[in-house]
Amino acid sequence: MKKILTAVIALGVAVTTASATDVEADRKAFVEHFKSIKPNVEFADYTNGVYAFDEGSREQFEEILDGIPPYEEAVEKGGAEFEKFGLGKCDALKDPKAARLAHPYYDDAAGKVITLEATIQKCYTEQTGKKMGTMKGKIARISAWISDQAAGEKINVKIESDGAKAAYERGKAFFYAKRGQFNMSCADCHVYNADKKARADILSPALGHTTHVPMYRAKWAGIGTLHRRYGGCLKNMRAKPIMAQSDIYGDMELFHQAMSNGLEITDARYRK
Amino acid sequence: MKKVLIVAFSVFTLSANANFMESGHNWNKGSSVDPFAAAIAAAESGYATNLKANMAWRDTGKMINEAKKLHKAGKLDAAVALANKAHKQTANAASQHKLATIAGPRF
Repeated sequence: MKKILTAVIALGVAVTTASATDVEADRKAFVEHFKSIKPNVEFADYTNGVYAFDEGSREQFEEILDGIPPYEEAVEKGGAEFEKFGLGKCDALKDPKAARLAHPYYDDAAGKVITLEATIQKCYTEQTGKKMGTMKGKIARISAWISDQAAGEKINVKIESDGAKAAYERGKAFFYAKRGQFNMSCADCHVYNADKKARADILSPALGHTTHVPMYRAKWAGIGTLHRRYGGCLKNMRAKPIMAQSDIYGDMELFHQAMSNGLEITDARYRK
Repeated sequence: MKKVLIVAFSVFTLSANANFMESGHNWNKGSSVDPFAAAIAAAESGYATNLKANMAWRDTGKMINEAKKLHKAGKLDAAVALANKAHKQTANAASQHKLATIAGPRF
């Protein structure tokens, strides 16, 4: 009798956890929130991030894109490096466009989220026997070039298995949790206060953040990965940054990308 | 009645004394326990827990290292004060962690 009761309770907990995750409902509520704060901004324009909000910044952004964007050379170099290191020989990367669209995903066998950068690192090591960084340089250039091949395609992150749902929930909790000496969450800036100013900068909307990653930031004077940006945000909150490509950043990326499902991936990767 | 009055008076006296005590009071002063060893151990243990939970604050580690340097330089009071400050940060981070696991959107 005790065993039956335990089994019933365990089954109940499993069913409740799995059914409690409704990614599409979360995404809709997320999009609705941004509609409520910026009713005149079209959904598709969120691919331009903060430039969808501010006219002056948009003009500067478009001028930069009209000339020779500062990331162009680096992205081209990334393409050359993709060839040079034989990354196309790896199954997961042989079709770069498909690779961008397939990541991030939850690998049930590995029990964790696999990001595009994690796949690039793995393939690079298989092909060259060497290790690769996680935040800038080669990994960011190659990832940017791969993402360029999928420009115009829509983000469509799938979260289906129980493991994927659990990872999504962990990532969601991380995104909304307050941390650091300033007791702030990612959402405090990029959801609730998007479009408001933090000192001289306008806070960008989290919706669309992942359409242009890896990004070129004027502050960095170079290209960096999404996880590099996560680290920068945590430092700003006076929280200790977590290692790029760690499991928890992977979980948050899964959530973060899923919230932008339906938005086009763009090769306009300049940000202030 | 007399007993009740004595108990009430004792509680009042103790709480009044506690209120007059500054918040940074070092309860180990005067005892045989090394105040720096106790403070730094508490800070390091709290920091390790914060790191494990991905909830550590940016400057706690630096404060712990700085406190150790001050201690080495013989500046005991400053070292204990900084170690206590670091420990306070770890306690605050632990409080954030309790809420972090259930965090979600406000809309």
